[in-house]
Amino acid sequence: MRNKAFYKHYYLMLLPGLLWLFFVNILPMHGILMAFKDFNAGMGVFRSPWVGLDNFRYMFELDDSRIIFKNTIFIALLKMVGNLIVPLIFALMLNEVRHRLFTRSVQTAVYLPHFLSWVIVAGIMLDIFSYTGPVNRLLSSFGVEPLLFFAKPELFPALVVASDIWKEFGFAAIIFFSALTSINPEMYEAAAIDGASQFKRLTQITLPSIVPVVVLVGTLSMGNILNAGFDQIFNLYNPTVYSTGDIIDTWVYRAGLIDMQYGLATAVGLLKSVVGFVMISITYGLAYRFANYRIF
Amino acid sequence: MKKAKTGLALLLVAAVAGLTACSSSENGNNQESSASSNTGANAEAVIDPMAKFPEPVEVGIGRAIDPNYKFEGSDTAEDNAYTRWLKDTYNIVVKHTWEASIADYNQKVSISIGSNDLPDAMLVNESQVRQMVKAGQLADLTEVYGKYGNERLKQIYESNPGLLDNVTFDGKLYALPETTLPSAPLTWIRQDWLDKLRLQPPKTLEDLENIAKAFVDNKLGGDNTIGIIGTGQGGSLYSNFLASSDHFMNFSPLFFANDAYPGIWVNGEDGNAAYGSILPETKNALALMKGWYDKGILDKEIGLRKSSQEVISSGQAGIFFGPWWSPYNLTDSIKNDPNANWKPFVAPLDAEGKFNSNQATGSTFIVVKKQFKHPEAVIKMLNIHVSEKDPSYATAVGKELTSQEIPLFLIMGHGDQLDYAVNTTQKVLKGEMTLEQVDKLNYGFTYELSSHVKDVKLEPYDNYDIQYWNKDDDFFSHLYAHLNGGSAFINADINWVRSLATAQTQTMQTKWTNLKKLEDETFLKIIMGGASIDEFDTFVTKWKEQGGDQITKEVNELK
Repeated sequence: MRNKAFYKHYYLMLLPGLLWLFFVNILPMHGILMAFKDFNAGMGVFRSPWVGLDNFRYMFELDDSRIIFKNTIFIALLKMVGNLIVPLIFALMLNEVRHRLFTRSVQTAVYLPHFLSWVIVAGIMLDIFSYTGPVNRLLSSFGVEPLLFFAKPELFPALVVASDIWKEFGFAAIIFFSALTSINPEMYEAAAIDGASQFKRLTQITLPSIVPVVVLVGTLSMGNILNAGFDQIFNLYNPTVYSTGDIIDTWVYRAGLIDMQYGLATAVGLLKSVVGFVMISITYGLAYRFANYRIF
Repeated sequence: MKKAKTGLALLLVAAVAGLTACSSSENGNNQESSASSNTGANAEAVIDPMAKFPEPVEVGIGRAIDPNYKFEGSDTAEDNAYTRWLKDTYNIVVKHTWEASIADYNQKVSISIGSNDLPDAMLVNESQVRQMVKAGQLADLTEVYGKYGNERLKQIYESNPGLLDNVTFDGKLYALPETTLPSAPLTWIRQDWLDKLRLQPPKTLEDLENIAKAFVDNKLGGDNTIGIIGTGQGGSLYSNFLASSDHFMNFSPLFFANDAYPGIWVNGEDGNAAYGSILPETKNALALMKGWYDKGILDKEIGLRKSSQEVISSGQAGIFFGPWWSPYNLTDSIKNDPNANWKPFVAPLDAEGKFNSNQATGSTFIVVKKQFKHPEAVIKMLNIHVSEKDPSYATAVGKELTSQEIPLFLIMGHGDQLDYAVNTTQKVLKGEMTLEQVDKLNYGFTYELSSHVKDVKLEPYDNYDIQYWNKDDDFFSHLYAHLNGGSAFINADINWVRSLATAQTQTMQTKWTNLKKLEDETFLKIIMGGASIDEFDTFVTKWKEQGGDQITKEVNELK
């Protein structure tokens, strides 16, 4: 009986979240129908005429579709890898520092950018990398011709990925810090007594202890395979970098909200969501098997 | 994943908002319907287009808000001297259904249309009007306009032929258009910089190139002087047939001087319609711009800059292209540098010595939602806006207001309003005309200009240099724009080129996003060096293949 009361209490706490999920995420799903319709705003989603898979067929005919899917996956993959490795290395390095005040302040300083919006960060970046900005002034002092960084398609993905990592690595490192502090210090003491070097202790104790967390974070991030970051790219891109920088979300934004091609934009967005869903399912399976991760 | 769905989620959320709002607005309408039948009965008998409503009538509108605008005291766009006066004098209560910043306004309108969650009335552009007519969302205004439009309003539309026809579909009037002030991009140059270097004003492209080069070489705007400043982030190199009203700060004149009209539909060599962007003249213009870009004459950060106007305000550039009303946007520049003496020039001319411009077709329209019970309230608001004000106005408001105070603000005037304003104001200034002789009834704003001009313009009256103005007067920007910019424009001999199509055809609705992207990307890359000029030919082939030929056919059928 005590158990039942316990559950009730928790279900009650869950309720607001579930309600939010229902109204904000589930209820709007009927809009997906637009992908299969010649959407007429006056008739609404339900009464607009059906067009079957026409929107999808047209989407695959477009040259753009290939490019935006390629760009999205490329940028997202780089971000996934970068956002796993950089915070990990950073956490390991900072973990070796024994000065508490120093580690604390560094940790705080590096996760601050996470709280800035991309509108602000993008503005700062455009200034820093502008034609007369500090980066170009530095380059020109070495005799390099000034470069218009954000008009170079070959540089754009790198700038996007690097700035994303810069902004997020401090925050992403928090989970690794917590994993590191949960390692039993007695293991280190024992290893030290047995004569293991600093490096040996890192490879033999630290790394194996946090592998499950690394695998978990890595696999879960795979759900973002089609998520290259709308906020960031929208604030940084311009037509000269469409070839490498235009992603699904920015394209859908232009087609749907600027050109009012609701059906086509929904079709592209739906495909993205489906792929994202499949990826999440697969990675959950992987995390379940290899990192002992359980939701249910 | 939450972010991953941004695009889709936006559309979905909009759709849901539509559902809930629909049901709530239905309730609202039911409550109002009894009231409206009463007023309807009264109206049948005698219609006074300016009469006060017996009961308060609420008009819900979507509103663009300028976040930097300073209101009197605690006034807001929704509750200010003008809206209070409307309410007290006419029983018209304006409520904001939603607000959006000026930059986001069009997006918000799109969402509103897509989710069928419309305010009772709002301002939209031409392609939005067409979209809404197609979706059957708009009220047929033919009858209410006929009944409630006052004489003055009808006169204005009659003196601007074609305006109402443009928004009449199957004999039904669906929108009330603005009487767009004509606009061609002039070349604005700092006269004080020209004087410093003893240079003559430009006539040809070559003159312009030399002047810009001289400005840069002599570092008149500091070490990072920019020759010609133009398009910024999210902007376009030239105005196109779907949004051509705004020529401010782009590079249109460089195309026009090459007899090229990108972005609009022109008469091709064979007499059929052709898209200006794919014609050889456009290639020539791009080649010229590429050359200028490489020489450092054009801004290096075309299309990347967050704000081009900042460059003007900080005095870093001495040349830009803009319409006659550009001085409204030069107040910061003049404030920062009192010597900044901007002058408009009717240049550059083409090889035959003509000054070309495409003709503005884009405009703003008032539309009314189909289900709205009181479309006559919107007509009345426009009547009031264009007519001589009720005596109560002087005490209740008593000052010049802008689109930020006046809801559903349209620029309304007779077809010759700018000519009349400039000529009359000049005459009043010189004493050739008295204030009483100004046609106050038909040209209210001219009367305002004329009554202030003597406080603002100092002698010599023919010289519009910046030192001969009283810059502290509230009316300075109005008069500075009309006299300095307007006089140059109305006296210019302009070869207008009008787009053969002004709205989207069937195929455009699906393929234009793609074609527009191809165009924007290729042109910017050619100018900024990512692609060679030969890329233009590849662009033309691709453009035709990917739907351009089909669209051209449709435009020809339209003709």
